[in-house]
Amino acid sequence: MEGEDQGSPIFIRFDSIVKGTDGPGEPRGDERGLGVEGLQAPSTPAASRLVQCNEPDAPVAELHDLFCKKLQQCCVLFDFLDCVADLKGKEIKRAALNELVESVATSRGVLIEPLYPEAIKMISVNIFRTLPPSENPEFDPEEDEPTLEASWPHLQLVYEFFLRFLESPDFQPSMAKRYIDQKFVLQLLELFDSEDPREREYLKTILHRVYGKLLGLRAYIRKQINNIFLRFIYETEHFNGVAELLEILGSIINGFALPLKAEHKQFLVRVLIPLHTAKSLSIFHAQLAYCVVQFMEKDATVTEYIIRGLLKYWPKTCTQKEVMFLGEIEEILDVIEPSQFIRIQEPLFKQIAACISSPHFQVAERALYFWNNEYILSLIEENCQVILPLVFATLYRVSKEHWNQTIVSLIYNVLKTFMEMNSKLFDDLTASYKVEKQKEMKRERERTDLWRGLEEYQERRMQMLTEAARNQRNLQERGERGDPLNPSSPQTAQSDQPEPKPSGASTGAGESAT
Amino acid sequence: MDAVRLMKELRVNYEQEEDFLPREAGLNLIVSAQQTGGQITARSRDVTVEDLWSLTSFFGYSTQSFVQAVSLLDRFLAMMRVQPKHLSCVSLSCLHLAARVTEEECDLTPADELIRIGQCRFTVSDLGRMEKIVAEKLRFKSKAVTALTFLQLYHQITLTHATYRKETLSLEKLEAQLKACLCRIAFSKAKVGRAVGPAEPLWVRPHRGSDPARLSLQPSVLALALLRQEMKSLQSEDMLEIAFHIQRHLKESLGFNPPFNPPSRFQIPDAELQRWSERVARCLSDYASPKCSKPNHRKLQWIVSRRTAQNLHSHRSVPELPTIPEGCWDESESEDSGEDVMSSGDESLCSSLGSDAEGPFFPLHLRRQYLAA
Repeated sequence: MEGEDQGSPIFIRFDSIVKGTDGPGEPRGDERGLGVEGLQAPSTPAASRLVQCNEPDAPVAELHDLFCKKLQQCCVLFDFLDCVADLKGKEIKRAALNELVESVATSRGVLIEPLYPEAIKMISVNIFRTLPPSENPEFDPEEDEPTLEASWPHLQLVYEFFLRFLESPDFQPSMAKRYIDQKFVLQLLELFDSEDPREREYLKTILHRVYGKLLGLRAYIRKQINNIFLRFIYETEHFNGVAELLEILGSIINGFALPLKAEHKQFLVRVLIPLHTAKSLSIFHAQLAYCVVQFMEKDATVTEYIIRGLLKYWPKTCTQKEVMFLGEIEEILDVIEPSQFIRIQEPLFKQIAACISSPHFQVAERALYFWNNEYILSLIEENCQVILPLVFATLYRVSKEHWNQTIVSLIYNVLKTFMEMNSKLFDDLTASYKVEKQKEMKRERERTDLWRGLEEYQERRMQMLTEAARNQRNLQERGERGDPLNPSSPQTAQSDQPEPKPSGASTGAGESAT
Repeated sequence: MDAVRLMKELRVNYEQEEDFLPREAGLNLIVSAQQTGGQITARSRDVTVEDLWSLTSFFGYSTQSFVQAVSLLDRFLAMMRVQPKHLSCVSLSCLHLAARVTEEECDLTPADELIRIGQCRFTVSDLGRMEKIVAEKLRFKSKAVTALTFLQLYHQITLTHATYRKETLSLEKLEAQLKACLCRIAFSKAKVGRAVGPAEPLWVRPHRGSDPARLSLQPSVLALALLRQEMKSLQSEDMLEIAFHIQRHLKESLGFNPPFNPPSRFQIPDAELQRWSERVARCLSDYASPKCSKPNHRKLQWIVSRRTAQNLHSHRSVPELPTIPEGCWDESESEDSGEDVMSSGDESLCSSLGSDAEGPFFPLHLRRQYLAA
């Protein structure tokens, strides 16, 4: 035991801190309990007093003092990367943290003014750190296991303490705001990039409480979250805490006052919608969709921005994302107002038609399943005249061509639904579709005929040219052989006519007189 | 298209029309059947025919297949007592039979596909057996003479007399309207209980052995009514003249002696035609009305793949964090960050609401990047 603390700077620091807080009126023996020997002692009598003390007078003052001491004690950091170092020290700190948590949770009148700075200091010291770079540079949040925080045994208690501190009935925002300031909040937000999901979970709840209670920080928090998202979208494409931040934003959006402020609408258009372009959308899509839908429920006029934005950023090559987008569209349509629907129905259903004809069966299925939604169906029904022409040709064509049998069945359902909605329109469209098909086939036939005609013409021309070249050659040869051939010229004259050679020979001839 | 030849053909079909009518008594039973009884009702027949129409459309079959199928169906239902649970099997077998004689081999949809798309519960062998039964009972050999036959003939006759109107009188449109009418069983039979008094023009078809006062709607009448309706809507007096001639022509061509004036075999009385024209007009106005009827899509099964089914509604999770209400006094306590930011007012969505006390929102360097992106 004696040998343990010899070369360890941590223990020395531990000691000096403890010894430095000697105050008047200290009860007997406690100080000793916090000294070196305290490393061995599991639970000191002081600890029990911290928790169970109920008397209001002098013991309360002791309580506060002890509280302070424990807080300072917990400012000492331990190295968890080395699992066997300072085991006893770690245990003592863990116990102390536990006591602090219990105390804040159960006792009343514990939180007095002098404790605020100490508490915040302890928390800051423990949690604010530079996050280690990811061990796996190709970390895929969906696939890989995250690297967990090594010092979680202590960190978790610190977070727990912070949370209870904020939720305590004695918590005074007016006092806290001096210490939980913008710098603190900024550092807190940076921690959201931690790979450890447990840490992010705590941070989410903590930030939620901070936002709720410290009104003066709200605008700042929103602005910083904005910055984080914008950096994420346009610069780094890496941030682990998007989902948690979005969850907090969801609860904020839910509480927006009407009429909606311009600032919030700008946030929607410039941050939330572009967030859909992130590659790792699947991690936070649920929360993002929730935020978007909440916006719509607050103020229906933003609908058009949302839908046009989604259509602008519609995924072109990633079908997994396309399925997510379709899910989001369905959620949006579930709460859309009919007057807004009319404004966006044309571009929307053009996109849906494109999805139906996607060769990826999941995309097509998801798009076709819209027709199973009662409310969407009623919207389509009211605007049948506009929507049916947009999707009809696609539906018909895909029903004949698609490889997937489930899709064909679903298309039948959709067509049958349309048929029942407005028979005449349906028949008109069928007729005009058939007419179009006929025209197209006729055009195809004409095109092939034209090409065939051209090829035949070329063949004939080739034949003529080769024959002409052959005639030319014959004349030359005769000229070269000279006059001796003249007596027999009557014979040759007869044989002057070019023999009709089989066309097979001429095609083999390389002489093409151009 | 020789006009005389067409008229001859018309007469031949007139004579055969009779043989392909569904039995009146059988149809009466269907019409009068109660919804709760275990019988096929008019409504279920109509719904079945609508399903046949959907399938015809979906598979790209011609109108002829559809009309033939309906003719087979009505005749079979009028002849045999069919249980409601077998109705879909009967209707699909009629369609398959009709398609087999009408469509090209390559366009014919295989039976299993037919059953799958029609979302029916029976098997291919069931369908085959039912087809045999239907064919046997109806002594099915060749195509029936239906309203479509007459419609096509009337159309051709009209065109021979009025070639300049070729484009406007559209056969497709007439066929579509015929399809709409066939979906109502009322057009397969007349209303029950119409008395025939001596003063009324006898619409008599001396049929071998049956009630001379039979009042079924002949397909020829239905076709003529449709034709006249369309001509009326086109407001073409000369075409209506042609229709009138068709109506009267056959009487003359049989060389009737006016003094005798016995009941003509092929006379179509004006009153009758008028009555049916009204009914057809009503049906067509329902068909053409822009007002949509609420589709009964609950009957349809929506099957999706397992993966899609998993994704559906998977992230409709209730958020855990409680709502934080925004207060109007939020900004008054805000501490200015002192950041140097540019105004983003030129792109604000709704400047009339006024900006918040805090001021502009987006830091300059990121805003530039956004605009460039």
